[in-house]
Amino acid sequence: MTLLAAATVTDQLLPARLQMAFTLGFHIILACFGVGLPVLMLVAEWRFLKTGDRLWQTLARRWSKAFAVLFAVGAVSGTVLSFELGLLWPELMGQWGAVVGLPFTMEGFAFFLEAIFAGIYLYGWERLPARVHWWTGWPIAVSGFLSAVFVVTANSWMNAPAGFRLVDGKPVDIDPLAAMFNAASGAQVTHMVVAAYLVTGFSVAAFYALCLLRRQSDEYCRRAFTLALLLALVFVPVQMLVGDWSAKVVARTQPVKLAAMEGQFQTERRAPLRIGGIPDAATRETRYAIEIPGGLSFLSYSDFNAEVKGLNDFPAQDTPPVAVVHLAFQIMVGIGSLMALMAAYCAFNYAKHRAWPQTQWFLWSAVGMGPLSILAMEAGWVVTEVGRQPWIVYGYMRTSEAVTMAPGVWTVFGTTMAIYLVIGVATVTALRRLASAPMSEVTHGA
Amino acid sequence: MGPDDVLLIVMLTALTLYAILGGADFGAGIWEFTTAMQATDRERQHIYKAIGPVWEANHVWLIFVLVILMNGFPAAFAALSRALWLPLLLALCGILFRGSAYIFRSYGTGSGRERVFWESVFAIASTATPLFLGSAAGAVASGKLMIPTDTTSAVDFVVGWISALTVFTGFYSVALCAYLSAVFLLREARQIGDEPLTTLWRQRALSTGLWVGVLSFGGLVMVAIEAPALAQGFLNRGWPLVIASLLCGIGSLVEVWRLNCTRAAIAAGGAVTAVIWGWGISQYPAIIPPAITASSAKAPDNVLWMMLGVISLGAVFLLPALAYLLVLFKREQRLDA
Repeated sequence: MTLLAAATVTDQLLPARLQMAFTLGFHIILACFGVGLPVLMLVAEWRFLKTGDRLWQTLARRWSKAFAVLFAVGAVSGTVLSFELGLLWPELMGQWGAVVGLPFTMEGFAFFLEAIFAGIYLYGWERLPARVHWWTGWPIAVSGFLSAVFVVTANSWMNAPAGFRLVDGKPVDIDPLAAMFNAASGAQVTHMVVAAYLVTGFSVAAFYALCLLRRQSDEYCRRAFTLALLLALVFVPVQMLVGDWSAKVVARTQPVKLAAMEGQFQTERRAPLRIGGIPDAATRETRYAIEIPGGLSFLSYSDFNAEVKGLNDFPAQDTPPVAVVHLAFQIMVGIGSLMALMAAYCAFNYAKHRAWPQTQWFLWSAVGMGPLSILAMEAGWVVTEVGRQPWIVYGYMRTSEAVTMAPGVWTVFGTTMAIYLVIGVATVTALRRLASAPMSEVTHGA
Repeated sequence: MGPDDVLLIVMLTALTLYAILGGADFGAGIWEFTTAMQATDRERQHIYKAIGPVWEANHVWLIFVLVILMNGFPAAFAALSRALWLPLLLALCGILFRGSAYIFRSYGTGSGRERVFWESVFAIASTATPLFLGSAAGAVASGKLMIPTDTTSAVDFVVGWISALTVFTGFYSVALCAYLSAVFLLREARQIGDEPLTTLWRQRALSTGLWVGVLSFGGLVMVAIEAPALAQGFLNRGWPLVIASLLCGIGSLVEVWRLNCTRAAIAAGGAVTAVIWGWGISQYPAIIPPAITASSAKAPDNVLWMMLGVISLGAVFLLPALAYLLVLFKREQRLDA
């Protein structure tokens, strides 16, 4: 009987995890724009108020329409996630809801404020005086930011559980604030919020880079491109520092995740930093990587000779799938490095010519950086989530202990894929239509 | 009164606001669904204009109920997630399609056929969502909801929640949404001084109102037969609210007849409020009767107090913002057309 039940749990786990990963991966893109686009809208509208230049207003209005579409789809895909926390993982909240629920309650308020002011801002272009209208955009940007903070706080708790004592398998002496301010929350929250601005900046810039490639002298596209790229580039160096901070936190709180990220099979001093490479779980080594001696020890513990724990130090049933985590981590860091290169090039060019690079080559790389920035962010989430396996609450609850026993999860997953495909395609279509609408249309109605 | 009771009140308030405000938005789609063959473009514009600025905010009340349940009564959240597997998935499907169809319809500037497609999706999803959420509520109210365990058969997982009462409450919710929406849209039509639309919505409000009244009596009979424990709760504690809902319902019909639209809207909202609170108070202290009660499902008191602190602080920001939104777009004004 136990054997039978165990087999069933395994059957449930794969579709449930795929379902969660897919819906989360979809939503997170929209969530990024929910955090980042309001900033661009506010800056554009502020330039309009300052200069009276209609072009800035047109830009703000167009972005607000794109925001409306992305926010609406994000709101419903976010609703799906909050239900899924219970539907797919009933025991996660059943056991831990009291500990980790507080940031969700806070997020409820942040999302509420964002929805209220989204309504006011989007439908208020004609009803409100210009300056008042601009101010009603602020709560959108602030609560979008706070939503991200609260939700990622909850996620960080799953990586570094805190704020309770375990007695007979049940949490007691619960301190929700200690749970929120856990060892991982600071780095993880900052990493994600900055990523949201990066994704928004690079994606929007990519869109207008395409426009500039077609019409080099288009003032509208040039401004939009500059503003979006500026948002992204400002945050590139910030993200490098935050990424380093995150890695150090992971080294401290989840050494096994770090070992998987780096393909570190053996515990060693003076551990090398591996660039690329293919971890081979059978031979327990990572091959074909470029190794920088002592690099990993230094990055994790600020000491070239520090000992880094390898996967061999952990029981096999407690280690995540190494290849996926290592590959995802390499993708994220690789794209991050490309961003850094781009930022450095722009800064250099600006110092020399007092202007943005205008070459075709540069614009094309900006086009590429849009999807790449999204890929980097998704890869980062793969590192976080897959790297935490087999735990749903690191060290306390296995994902298999939380999963639902409801039937038909594969069917649900298949249906979800189909539905999200339709909604995804329709979202992109709607955005493209908004972008290609003649300028004059933009100035009428929200 | 412990913090769990205060939290229950907050949760029921949020649920009520979702039922009224979100319900009216669903109702607008239900009207599109039921009148698909006849609705003119002008009627549709009227509907979309009414729900445009507010539907996102109205939707969040549901999230709010969900997070309070998750954080404050985690055991009840887990149990409901198991027991209502199918209806919640279907409701989610509805929520996904309703929200996205609305936005694609209003922002996509596509061909006529594409718009008709999203209009239909919006109408169908607006009807399906309250149907499934309503039946989920009925499954809880029935007092017979089985909480699946790891050994529950697949069949019970999928259909275990269905009973005569769940079917009834599903359709009853749809009817309530349609009525609320008709009254609210009547008010908006009257505000912009649109005679034909006023006549239309008055007629629709009156006819659905009568039907909802009949259904309500049927519902009481149904509860007496299907959910004796809840019926006992109605007799012991809930009866004043049953009477209140009756009076509000009749009152709203009278005000619709006399075209006192704001009063009619308030009374209709009052009727829905009384139904929900009558249910809540009658089954108190159970959250999922019979076994799961507020005290058995609640988080520790210090967590609940902290939640109440957060909620109070949040309300300081939320309530003025919400008032601003509603005053801006929903107060009585005749000038903006």
